[in-house]
Amino acid sequence: MTTTARTDPHARSNFWKWFDAFRRAPGMWAYSLNRLSAIGLTVYLFLHLVVLRTLADGPQAYDDFVALVKSPVFVFGELVVVIGGVYHGLNGLRVALTAFGIGVPYQKHMFYAVLIITAVVSLVFGIHMFTA
Amino acid sequence: MAEKWTVTFLINRQKDGVEPHFESFQLEVNPDEYVLDAIERVWAFHDRSLLFRHACHHSTCGACGMRVNGVEKLTCITTIRSVTSDGGTVKVEPLRNFPVVGDLVVDMTRLYARMEMVKAPSVIPLDEAPKPDTSVFDIKPDHDAPDDMIRLVDCIECGMCVSACPVPLTTPEYLGPAVLAGAQHQGLEKNPSLLELVDGPNGVWRCHSAFECTAVCPSNVEPGWRIMDLRKQLVKKRFQRLFGRGG
Amino acid sequence: MTKPKAIVIGAGFTGVATAHDLALRGVDVTVVERGPLANGTSGRTHGLLHSGSRYAVNDKESAEECIQENMILRKIVPEAIEPNGGLFVGINESDLAYGEAFIEGNEACNIPIRELTKKEALELEPNLNPNLLAAFWVPDGTFDPLRLAMAFAATAQSNGAKFYLYTEVLELIQDGQGNVKGVRVLDRMTDKRTELYADVVVNATGAWAGQIAENVGAQVPVKPTPGVMVAYGKRLTHRVVNRLNKPGDGDIILPQRRMMVVGTTSYEVEDLDYVPVIEEQVDLMLTRGSELIPGLKEAPQRGAYTATRPLIGAGSSGRSIARTFKFFDHKESDGVDGLVTITGGKATTLRLMGEKTADVVVKKLGMDTPGRTAEVRLISYRYFVENQGRP
Repeated sequence: MTTTARTDPHARSNFWKWFDAFRRAPGMWAYSLNRLSAIGLTVYLFLHLVVLRTLADGPQAYDDFVALVKSPVFVFGELVVVIGGVYHGLNGLRVALTAFGIGVPYQKHMFYAVLIITAVVSLVFGIHMFTA
Repeated sequence: MAEKWTVTFLINRQKDGVEPHFESFQLEVNPDEYVLDAIERVWAFHDRSLLFRHACHHSTCGACGMRVNGVEKLTCITTIRSVTSDGGTVKVEPLRNFPVVGDLVVDMTRLYARMEMVKAPSVIPLDEAPKPDTSVFDIKPDHDAPDDMIRLVDCIECGMCVSACPVPLTTPEYLGPAVLAGAQHQGLEKNPSLLELVDGPNGVWRCHSAFECTAVCPSNVEPGWRIMDLRKQLVKKRFQRLFGRGG
Repeated sequence: MTKPKAIVIGAGFTGVATAHDLALRGVDVTVVERGPLANGTSGRTHGLLHSGSRYAVNDKESAEECIQENMILRKIVPEAIEPNGGLFVGINESDLAYGEAFIEGNEACNIPIRELTKKEALELEPNLNPNLLAAFWVPDGTFDPLRLAMAFAATAQSNGAKFYLYTEVLELIQDGQGNVKGVRVLDRMTDKRTELYADVVVNATGAWAGQIAENVGAQVPVKPTPGVMVAYGKRLTHRVVNRLNKPGDGDIILPQRRMMVVGTTSYEVEDLDYVPVIEEQVDLMLTRGSELIPGLKEAPQRGAYTATRPLIGAGSSGRSIARTFKFFDHKESDGVDGLVTITGGKATTLRLMGEKTADVVVKKLGMDTPGRTAEVRLISYRYFVENQGRP
């Protein structure tokens, strides 16, 4: 019997295959985006700690840093973090509810609601952040 | 008159000693034909060495599940029109998360063994459906079926849900949607020994709520809902134990 | 002590039932099949567990076999069956006229039927044509074709039978006298050729039986006769619904799970390996089906396919065991020993075909073990191991 160690004919590592939402249903998108935002937020958390460490280097280092993060690229980066965080949190609520059998037949509707709220919040934050 | 499309089928080929690769077959098809019809024609008229599973051709046996353009489909009821357009391409691969025996054939033994392990039912009362608000009869007969009437369960053990689920990719020990749905259907009350299985490390708690199992199921099983229902039951049991009301 | 060996070519209903019976009688059975289980005609049956009523008027032998086997299958493999009975429904005057002969025929065959009033019929099945003129209840049922085959195969395996799927017979191996000693096969999974030997080779390839027998110059007058079936995505009845008329096109509607299957037609073809669906026939199924169940017109089409019946040609030389299926001992008919062919038949009578075949095979092997498949409860279809090893 032919048994391939990896069961996919393209033999990519199974590790990344979870990101397989194209052409699939909303639930799969929700799950994939949840993982992506989780990875993103984790990376951000790490960066955040690294950056805070600069406080230990004295007032000049900190001032330099503050000047840096006022630049548009960084502001945009922060917006992405906000979007990721809002999405992750809201979808997390959806997952928590359905995980205990609440509202399962409406999981798609909940996902759309999560998307809409995320979009609205992102817009509000975006406007504030770029016009502050 | 029947339309005629020209469609290219990219079919996965692999055997002992032959690495997985795609082979291309161009066919003239009627778009309202089914993907399985095209695969059968490839075997009959183009390449007799093609291996593929099929039996009933009317979605009752579950043998012909494959990945079509990356998504699980029961190829005997999937029209070519629904997966491509004239001049388009259809990629056909075997199901994921099962050992590939050759070309489009996978080994289902593990799934069958697990379904038997949880004693997933094969026949049930005729008008039973997963959720109370769904009906077996789309046009309601004016009354319920007599109590002694039974029907084959919805689950045709096709394995498409297992293929669509992201969890078995890295955790083959995960019981999987079909099996957990079968366990929920069998009922924890009827069979308390199932508790250990579904509450265990490879049971319901491994599910990541992708709900892709429900999305690809061709047969109204709703495994996603059933897994969450099991969780609800398990949590209830835990509470009952915690607060000493039996359970 | 070595068990006598038999090779069964074909893992459709006939093959698996024969393998089960032989294995139970202590024969070392090997089944070779070029595709997966039941991928030929057997898998595609609409799944009618015949009460026999359909044949009670002009093929009483068939009818009696059916009712007998119907009752046996309900006992030995209930997990593959929806045992909910069926109705024969008359819509017009000619149907009504057929009713007389119908009642007589069923009585003669001991098939328990019940005449219903129009009111009773509509109460049992509210989606029937409200203008029906006559109705009878019969003990029909529906079965799941793959699970039925898997259950027989699993039980055979549990008694030592070996199944080599995706293994194609290239030729029959003959000795100097032209007698069959075994088969030369191509393992389609590994592309290896190999030889398997046995005391008796059973040709259970159904519609393809003629092709296999030709291998050794033997004649099997099987006439492949396909028919179309159309599946609809709604379940509109609790039970099977048949047209009360002489067997014809589109007069059977079967429910299973949440769908209906309407069949069938009858025509001849040359090429067995692929029989296309003819659109006009699909339309005919809808037309005829909706005469019985008008709601079918609103139901979405879920699938359409053809299945090729192995009908025995008229005037054939084989010794028939029964009119529905035919057994050919090629030693008698073609001077080729070591090969027997069993073909024809209905899905409902698979166990009986297996038994009759095994009866003759064990006799040829010099044994006298009686068959007992009618009493043996089949094990769960889930125990069937598809990849048992390669030849």
